[in-house]
Amino acid sequence: MTNQTLTAEAVNQANRPSAEDIAARRKVIEVDHLDWSFGPRQVLFDINLDVREGEIMVIMGGSGSGKTTLLRHLVGLMPPLPGKIKLLGKDMGALSRMQLLDLKRRIGVAFQFGALFSSMSVSENVKLPLRELTDLEERTMDIMANMKLEVCNLSGFGHLMPSDLSGGMMKRASIARAIVMDPKLIFLDEPSSGLDPVVSSALDDLILKLRDAMDISVVVVSHDVESAYKIADRITILDKGQILISDRVDAVRNSANERVQNLLHRRSEQAEIDPTEYLRRLAGD
Amino acid sequence: MANPAKIFETIGRRTVAGLDEMGYAAAIFFEAIYWTLAGWRYRQPVRVTATFAAMMQFGVAALPIATLLAATIGLMLAIQSLYSLGLFGAEHYAYIGIALSVVREFSPMIMGILIAGRSGSAIAAKLATMSINQEVDALQVMGINPVRFLVSPVLIALVLMMPCLAMWANLVSILAAGLYVSAELNQSFGAYLNDTIEVLKTGDVWHGLGKATLFGIIIALVGVINGSMVQGGAEGVGKVTTRSVVISITLIVVADMIFAYMTTQ
Ligand SMILES: Nc1ncnc2c1ncn2[C@@H]1O[C@H](COP(=O)(O)OP(=O)(O)OP(=O)(O)O)[C@@H](O)[C@H]1O
Ligand SMILES: [Mg+2]
Repeated sequence: MTNQTLTAEAVNQANRPSAEDIAARRKVIEVDHLDWSFGPRQVLFDINLDVREGEIMVIMGGSGSGKTTLLRHLVGLMPPLPGKIKLLGKDMGALSRMQLLDLKRRIGVAFQFGALFSSMSVSENVKLPLRELTDLEERTMDIMANMKLEVCNLSGFGHLMPSDLSGGMMKRASIARAIVMDPKLIFLDEPSSGLDPVVSSALDDLILKLRDAMDISVVVVSHDVESAYKIADRITILDKGQILISDRVDAVRNSANERVQNLLHRRSEQAEIDPTEYLRRLAGD
Repeated sequence: MANPAKIFETIGRRTVAGLDEMGYAAAIFFEAIYWTLAGWRYRQPVRVTATFAAMMQFGVAALPIATLLAATIGLMLAIQSLYSLGLFGAEHYAYIGIALSVVREFSPMIMGILIAGRSGSAIAAKLATMSINQEVDALQVMGINPVRFLVSPVLIALVLMMPCLAMWANLVSILAAGLYVSAELNQSFGAYLNDTIEVLKTGDVWHGLGKATLFGIIIALVGVINGSMVQGGAEGVGKVTTRSVVISITLIVVADMIFAYMTTQ
């Protein structure tokens, strides 16, 4: 098992584009000075980030560090203000309604819990973007949907309803739906959460396959350190709404920053909590 | 709790929240109309199939229960009219009261209440479940406008089906009442119908159908707004579903009164 993971990792290391190679590529995501608050509570602080073409960027961080909030900004579910977000070279804040719709056709998103439409079969789910956003014939849509289901190892399961799927199948189905329009950029929220190691490792392979075969740039939000090492070109670590580090895997792994190491090795930081403060919190005021 | 200032503050906050909701409802209403008219420009027309499916669900599938209710209401009105007019020996004028109150009041109101309970709740529950499952977010990131995809078909279907149901209820109620009245008074059924048609003006029919349409809009918007405001899990779905039925019925009754007042001034 360890051996296998190691070799898989080694293979990916070999495939991994070099630092210079990546730096020379076009930016598909640019985030400039993004702040965000929920009411009085600020959850994102001056986020600056870029993702390059064909790159796999893994965003990590503890629970509540703002990963999902950042992702929701990136995919246009939250306004990119104040600050600026460019996707595929387009400034999201400055687009007309029509241009924004056009941009959304070129990105794919797989949500943490799948967000499959529970009233439609898996293949209807995958076909939905085609049905609603293109003028393709039914037969063509079927072919395209089946192709994507096959890529995600779901051929033969298209007729099932989402409620009949296992956790891993659900994630793969939502990835199939995310890639059905052949996007240049996909976002995956916690693809491996709630899955056993074998299934989540298969999912990592799928993500690598997508990048290599379809030349897609991938942004993955993840808690899973092993998986991040395996698939990432670069890792960004969020901590309390701030970017702690955003660098190549080796650099992050060997970072001298204590907080980075704590997060990677899942060491708790309880020592930082003042005992009286803790008691006060327990007492509830 | 008993602090009066607190109570006023609560009332104030509730009022502001209520106005907020009305603004939100108006925004959704205009957006739904916008997409119905201009969707094709974004290559996202409101789907005819989805609209038909909603019309079947909200209108056609409600026919059996609508018929039963309308017939019962017709009979109830006939019995009451004969009794109360009988006190003055004026039974033979029963048809006037029956015709006018069925067409102007009872059909739209009863159909409104029926559809609020039957479809308003279904709309709220569906939307709430979809929000919780992030299905609405999924639509949004795909570039499929959720208002166009989810709200417009529902709104169109209710606006079209509510007057149809009210018209159907008119027919059924008047027939049911007619059968009872003509049997009780030993009068011919044909004569009863003739009298009824005589007394009804097109204005009365339009009044009723207009209200039914308005109620359709209320049911659709209240269902949609409540569904999209859901918080929490399955429990939240139950809450907004109940809330949407209570609010729709209240608004229907109030709107009915205002409508009656304004059109009789
Ligand atoms: N709708 C909201 N309203 C208010 N606060 C919110 C909302 N959504 C998130 N937050 C807060 O913002 C902070 C960041 O949340 P976010 O969901 O982005 O964290 P996360 O890194 O995705 O955590 P997890 O790993 O648990 O999913 C949290 O403290 C959370 O409580
Ligand atoms: Mg999250």
